[in-house]
Amino acid sequence: MIEFRDVHFSYSSREILKDVNFSVGFHERVAILGGSGEGKTTILKLILGLIRPDGGKIFVDGEDITIKQESQLRDIRMKFNMVFQDGALFDSLNVKENVAFCLREYTNMSEEAIDKKVRRILSTVGVEHALELMPEELSGGMHRRVSLARSLALATPLMFLYDEPTTGLDPLNADNICRLIADLSREGKGFIMVTHKVSDALKVADRLMFLREGKLLFDGNRQELLNTTITDIKAFISETAPRGPSRTQ
Amino acid sequence: MIKIKETLRDLQDFYSLSFSGLLGIGRRPFYLKDALLQMDYAGAGSLLIVFIVDLFVGMALSLQLSAELSRLGLKMYIGMIVGISVVRELGPVVTALVFTGRVGAGMASELGSMALGNQVDMIRVFGFDPIKKLVTPRIVSSLIMLPALTIIGVAVSLLGGYYIAVFVSHQSGTFYWSSIRNILTIENVLAGAIKPFVFGYLIACICCYSGLSTKGGAIGLRHSTTKAVVMSIVMIIISDFLLTRLLLYVLGFSV
Repeated sequence: MIEFRDVHFSYSSREILKDVNFSVGFHERVAILGGSGEGKTTILKLILGLIRPDGGKIFVDGEDITIKQESQLRDIRMKFNMVFQDGALFDSLNVKENVAFCLREYTNMSEEAIDKKVRRILSTVGVEHALELMPEELSGGMHRRVSLARSLALATPLMFLYDEPTTGLDPLNADNICRLIADLSREGKGFIMVTHKVSDALKVADRLMFLREGKLLFDGNRQELLNTTITDIKAFISETAPRGPSRTQ
Repeated sequence: MIKIKETLRDLQDFYSLSFSGLLGIGRRPFYLKDALLQMDYAGAGSLLIVFIVDLFVGMALSLQLSAELSRLGLKMYIGMIVGISVVRELGPVVTALVFTGRVGAGMASELGSMALGNQVDMIRVFGFDPIKKLVTPRIVSSLIMLPALTIIGVAVSLLGGYYIAVFVSHQSGTFYWSSIRNILTIENVLAGAIKPFVFGYLIACICCYSGLSTKGGAIGLRHSTTKAVVMSIVMIIISDFLLTRLLLYVLGFSV
């Protein structure tokens, strides 16, 4: 379980998160909604211990990660698979080497076994044809699929963390990524997806949160979100929510 | 007050990176492939530019000395003065400045781009130590390749000086080389040989730190790369003076 207790975070003099409280089980399918610069990505980075809060406590699996040293955070981070908004693929490595990165560093697998595993993972996310391409040759959708494949290579995590996985993609690609996210969460593995696209959040998440000016304004299910009376959220949804039933659902 | 705090935190982070990066050389895992790739980029890739710059520095120095010494009737000392200047001072410093411009700027911009693209965070998410994985191979590469390039640079500068001394100033080539051989004492060689190791370490640490602390998109990347190059150059010049003072004292030269 992930638990935020009165978490406060500021960057320079700007307050990003103000006393945020929530807890999420590893099996839950959560979407954190909010506009740009509201602190959504900050929450993911705080969960992984990539940044430290100015105040409050963050517990992952019962351990307070705010007091841990960098070297002690490795085991915490291995519980998650993170997919950054831009994919964060290593520029200097091709797709195959990106996916094989952790296998080479952490295992003694033979070249043949690595090649076989990389091909299998890439075919899972539908980009097996991109094996030899460099990151700059990939489209936005492929970038994120390869990033997902890379995070799947080493071990199955307890939970996935997605940072704006569909932002900047055309509707077809965005739908494919949502389907992939839904597929990966079928074996009881939850995820936290941060996004400003309400339609995508409604497609894949069971629990939705809404961040506004550093505060958690809403925490509930789809129906509660759509029926909310909070003006800020209603305005946000009316701008981005889908008009009809979604395909992934 | 906030500015002072930030500066102190920056200094603390810089020293921590420099220390951890150096200690990483002796700790597992050894990223040998990464170090070899960096050495190829830093060494083989810089060879041509070091060759050109040092050749012309040697020729210009020899030309200047010829003009002045011929007025005093002391042209036979060209070899000796060129040798001492190049071996002890100009060779290490000029090569380090070239290295900063080419390799240091490359380190800062590459790591800066990785930091902005969340690639450094991704390395941390995968459970790697970014200092061990990214900084240590660059320190190793600088510690090996800058001294190697300096040796080549010094040889090329002396060759440039020889060309001017013999073909422009009409001195004896044999006398030029024998003057050079005479000044290649253990003290003179040591006075020049220690510097590239210090310069290489400084360049790698400053440029890696600057790159890894990049924030703020393209403007931030420009700022961090510029800062890396400027700081490296300033530190090379300052440390050169301090090292010269120290080495002259330790090696028993009277000033």
